Amino acid sequence: MPVDPDVLALDLTLVDKTYAGGVHALRNIAMRVAKGEVFGLLGPNGAGKSTLVKVITTIVRPSRAEGTVLGKPLGDLSTLARIGYLPEHHRFPQYLTGRQCVEFFGAMTGVERTRRKQRASELLETVGMSAWADKRIGSYSKGMQQRIGIASAMVNDPELVILDEPTDGVDPVGRREIRDVLLSIRERGTTVFLNSHLLSEVELVCDRVAIMVQGRVARHGTIEELTRESHCVRIVYSGDAVAWAAEHGGVSTAHQSRHAIEFAKATVESVQPALDRLRSEGRVIHAFGEVRESLEALFMREVTDPTSGKARPIGAEAGR
Amino acid sequence: MNMQWTQTIALFVDAYRELNARKLFWIALALNALVVGVIASLGINENGITVIIWELDTRGLNSSIFPPEQFYHTLFASFGVGFWLAWISTILALLSTATIFPELVTGGVDTLVSKPISRKRLYFTKFATGLLFTFAQVMLFTTLSFFVLGIRGGVWSIGIFVAVPIMLVFYSYLFSVMAVVGSMTRSVIASVIVTLLFWVFVWALHAGEQFTLLGETVQRVEITALERRLENAKTVDGRAPLEKDLESAKASLEVWRPIHISLYTLKTALPKVSETIQLLNRSLRTAADIPTPNEDDMGDEAVAGRNFLGAKYAKRKDVETAVQAEMTTRPIWWVIGTSLLFEAGLLTLGAWRFSRRDF
Repeated sequence: MPVDPDVLALDLTLVDKTYAGGVHALRNIAMRVAKGEVFGLLGPNGAGKSTLVKVITTIVRPSRAEGTVLGKPLGDLSTLARIGYLPEHHRFPQYLTGRQCVEFFGAMTGVERTRRKQRASELLETVGMSAWADKRIGSYSKGMQQRIGIASAMVNDPELVILDEPTDGVDPVGRREIRDVLLSIRERGTTVFLNSHLLSEVELVCDRVAIMVQGRVARHGTIEELTRESHCVRIVYSGDAVAWAAEHGGVSTAHQSRHAIEFAKATVESVQPALDRLRSEGRVIHAFGEVRESLEALFMREVTDPTSGKARPIGAEAGR
Repeated sequence: MNMQWTQTIALFVDAYRELNARKLFWIALALNALVVGVIASLGINENGITVIIWELDTRGLNSSIFPPEQFYHTLFASFGVGFWLAWISTILALLSTATIFPELVTGGVDTLVSKPISRKRLYFTKFATGLLFTFAQVMLFTTLSFFVLGIRGGVWSIGIFVAVPIMLVFYSYLFSVMAVVGSMTRSVIASVIVTLLFWVFVWALHAGEQFTLLGETVQRVEITALERRLENAKTVDGRAPLEKDLESAKASLEVWRPIHISLYTLKTALPKVSETIQLLNRSLRTAADIPTPNEDDMGDEAVAGRNFLGAKYAKRKDVETAVQAEMTTRPIWWVIGTSLLFEAGLLTLGAWRFSRRDF
């Protein structure tokens, strides 16, 4: 279905990458990211997430690439001035101060001197690094370097920000602060492409996600869409497990050391008879309501081999 | 200001900050100042050479045969540039800049190649920023030397600043090798070792070419001397040994010549490090009007008797004049132009590889 390119920040129709060693890292990737949304890219190690990000930012040359980034063909050099990027394993120059680093990357994206000085001060304030701005990066902790990285990625007022593991090595307090920064970026209307292992983080900030497994996009959509199939109504009760759950269309299960009945594709209203029966048996209802599969459960399901029940082998497959 | 200029200036400012943060940069600068200080502490008067306030009794070498301006020019060109800048300072520069390209293709590459700058331009600009170290060192050395020449030698020779571009060009030959090896292997140690080996190789090639040039020239001069003697020989008995020697010299020339041509051809394709430095001597001699020592001091004795490179009749003066003539007639475009051509070819290969690489 054709989509107006003006509403898409990223429109990949076919991206394929086989490295020189024969590793087939990306297999016919197709992906769309709308302008203004926070998009999460998930996948186990070696699934091809970083390779895809590097193809978008021209760091890796694709074997085949069809698609657009901000309306320009993938690989177009001028588009990079409109993108902010924080790599996963970055090593910022240790001899620069935080401020110099942000200004340097501003200059590299062509931001005019006065503007980049002003932006650097604003962004250092935003990421909570004003007090450390004039100290050398060599003296920073990993979390502080991540903050400088985010500021550097934002200095050119990008339309698309690509963050590869932005909370890697950051403590829980720092992660929360970075999450707040991401939300403030979204509020400004900037598109965020987030590559992260931290599913809870992705679940909290992302509008849509894609799960990559062995170089392919296994699932993509909103978290609501992806977990719709797993929607059910759950009743958690006291006492022994009931034997009659199936009579009401439910399945006996366990939840946090208590017995429960789960009703797939049911509504709160449709399970009232089962609820009444539990009460008539004198059981205490501990919890009752609609539940969905967590993103983590969905993720684990996608990365698990259904035949063996074990996680799929780490890394993209070699060869075709 | 357009984006290209903004990026180029940012890369140069970044390179300056990187140098500024390196202790070796400041140590090298201090050593340069110290060396000029040593040159400044030396003097020459009618009694001989002076060191600060002490006089050394060097009667054969005093200001009447070696005026102060020539003395300082020679110290600057031979010791300052020929030894200090061309060897010690260059080694310090190679060590200081060895990390630039390995670091470019490892640590910071993601953050740079994801910016709107072509990889080739990034590669060449990084190369240019690597020359900053040498520029700073040579500029300081030459500026201080300029004042030493003026104050101590009494000659304000602006011409010595030609050392700056010459040393930059000289250093760029070696740095191009270091850049390409560093960016391809990602190894600092490999890039330093290969560059030093390459330097030794081109130096040895130059020495070999000079030796075979001397051998060829000796035989040519020998043949000319023998032919002159044969013209004057009146008896058959007198001519016979000369003719035998002439045949021998011609045969010897046929051995020397192809070897020299081969080495010269190979040298043409490679950077001419020694001759580039010697351009400074040529330039300073012209600037200060210093006579070539060989022109005045060359002996008139024949090589004969010493059987030098198989020659008996070639005069040392004639041989040295011929070699000197050959060296001075080698044009600057050949010395620098072909060297820069090698450098450009090598860097193009490095930039091409860099631009096609996945990081």
